[in-house]
Amino acid sequence: MAHLQLQKVGKSYGAVEVIPGIDFEINSGEFLVLVGPSGSGKSTLLKMIAGLEETTSGKILVDGEDITHLDPSARDLAMVFQSYALYPHMTVKDNMSFALRMRGEDPSEIDRRVKDAVVMLDLGGLENRKPGQLSGGQRQRVAMGRCVVRNPKLFLFDEPLSNLDAKLRAQTRIEIRRLHERLNATSIFVTHDQVEAMTMADRIALLKDGKLQQIGSPQDLYLRPKNTFVATFIGTPEMNLLPGQVEMIDGGLWLDGSNGLHLPLSPERQSKLANAMKPGVAVKVGIRPEHFEMVPAGTKGAMEVRVNVVEWLGHEIFIFGQASFGPIGVRVPEGMATAPAANDVLYIRPISDRWHVFDAASGDNLLVE
Amino acid sequence: MKAKTSLSGIGGNLIAWGYALIILGPMIWILSNSFKRQIDILMGTTIAPFTLVNYQLIINSRQSHFLWNLWNSAVVSVISTLVVLVIATLAAFTVARLEPPRWVTFILLGWALVFHMLPTLTFVGSWYVMFTQAGLHGTYTALILAQVVQGLPMALFLMIGFVMNIPRELVQAARLDGCTYAQVFRHLIFPLSLGGMAAAGALSFISAWSDFAIALNLSNKDTMTAPVAIATFAQEHQILYGQMAAASMLSMIPALAFIMFGQRFVVRGLLAGAVK
Repeated sequence: MAHLQLQKVGKSYGAVEVIPGIDFEINSGEFLVLVGPSGSGKSTLLKMIAGLEETTSGKILVDGEDITHLDPSARDLAMVFQSYALYPHMTVKDNMSFALRMRGEDPSEIDRRVKDAVVMLDLGGLENRKPGQLSGGQRQRVAMGRCVVRNPKLFLFDEPLSNLDAKLRAQTRIEIRRLHERLNATSIFVTHDQVEAMTMADRIALLKDGKLQQIGSPQDLYLRPKNTFVATFIGTPEMNLLPGQVEMIDGGLWLDGSNGLHLPLSPERQSKLANAMKPGVAVKVGIRPEHFEMVPAGTKGAMEVRVNVVEWLGHEIFIFGQASFGPIGVRVPEGMATAPAANDVLYIRPISDRWHVFDAASGDNLLVE
Repeated sequence: MKAKTSLSGIGGNLIAWGYALIILGPMIWILSNSFKRQIDILMGTTIAPFTLVNYQLIINSRQSHFLWNLWNSAVVSVISTLVVLVIATLAAFTVARLEPPRWVTFILLGWALVFHMLPTLTFVGSWYVMFTQAGLHGTYTALILAQVVQGLPMALFLMIGFVMNIPRELVQAARLDGCTYAQVFRHLIFPLSLGGMAAAGALSFISAWSDFAIALNLSNKDTMTAPVAIATFAQEHQILYGQMAAASMLSMIPALAFIMFGQRFVVRGLLAGAVK
């Protein structure tokens, strides 16, 4: 358990800059998820922290100690790899005790710790099997056991769930999170899956092209996205972005004039918006699919949507259709008498204050600092 | 349902058996000669009285040193194979997983390729001069060093293929588990490339065991190896066909044993990385 600090940490291969310079901190006991699309540099960053990739600029500090150029074997960090990277010629027990044996720990102490880990991870009876004789889920747990016995400063996870099937993945998510609490560990978890990020993280760091887009709690990223990238990356189906201009007409806020879409808002939001937005600037209005309400046909300021596809998920229904602003996704509110069908025409309006305004050019959220 | 014997199947079988006959024919001929008297061999008798005299002569006779020659072959082949394996495995780990500068890999593999492509006889002349000047002509050292140079290129390529097959993450995991690169090699690369070492070792041993050109030029009476000794049965006034055949049969045994032992590893080694 440790406190990690990244100070302008950057990575370049010759002239190609992959990570221009990232600053953030991870507090002791925190579970931080690094998330981003492929090629965003999240795995590279994790490997830089582990010492498996060279850091070309900036500093990495663990508990105030500069480890930027320390050999990985001396960092005392443990990592769960995507492929698990279990030593194929060693038994489960030997895999888990390897690091301790390399360190020359007392054999009875090694034995005790391995036994604890075996119980904790429900691997009883498998101690003398080799990795080739285990299922995917068991291998994953052995890989975690290998980290747990070491009691390292930091746990690093490099997409450890991507080789599991959906059901096991959901289960393992909870197990990892529980293990983290129980060991009072500090963990960094890399994934491209925003559901994993949302469900597991204390805080999420969202990366794109090696740059930190936003760091904060899952609620922060979901409810107060800093830019269009964060807004569309977090949440499925993704947030609708409607391009146009917003203006005040007769005390109400409208997108694309008084024949366009009415955006209901509170007085606080109105004054905030008046400060943040220059009149006449091109914007994108972002509305999540669940933040629409159905209104009767002919309601002024509503949006007409022709339904193309209906996705029935059991606990919720999404419709995807065409509006004058472009394609749009809407979650059908609960309690609707009859589920819509393809080619139906619906009238929808955003819920008061549950929408965002982004600068069309920079993509920045005008209502979030 | 029974598979139909197709025409192409029969053709394939014929080719396979024909090829086997080309290889086995001479061997059977030598085997039968080794149990015949000199006179029967010279007369060309196919069915001749069975005799062990050839084997007795090369093993027991005062003039024959064939067992000593076999021992020489064993010393040279075993030691050179061990040296080849140590160098090839360490080099393969370095090239495949330690990411040395490009030019190091380029020079190493380029050197290996050149040595592998050129016939041994090209080098034997200069080796003769070098080892004589160094006072090493006729020593085991000279023979072993020459065999190492001869066997290293193929072993190197084979071992690189094998080590490349060991996932990079395993090395990284071991590094995070506190291993230095030397420990990674000892605890991970070495045990995981034993199969490759068996393959490379078998090939290297067979090539050293059956070598004629190097041993002919660099050995003397005391360090003469089996293939050179077999050639000496062709003497000025007569060719001792029977003893030659018996000696050939004896010298074949270790190579055969190695092929049986190493075959599956060799096949696996040559296919390493070919399929996932």
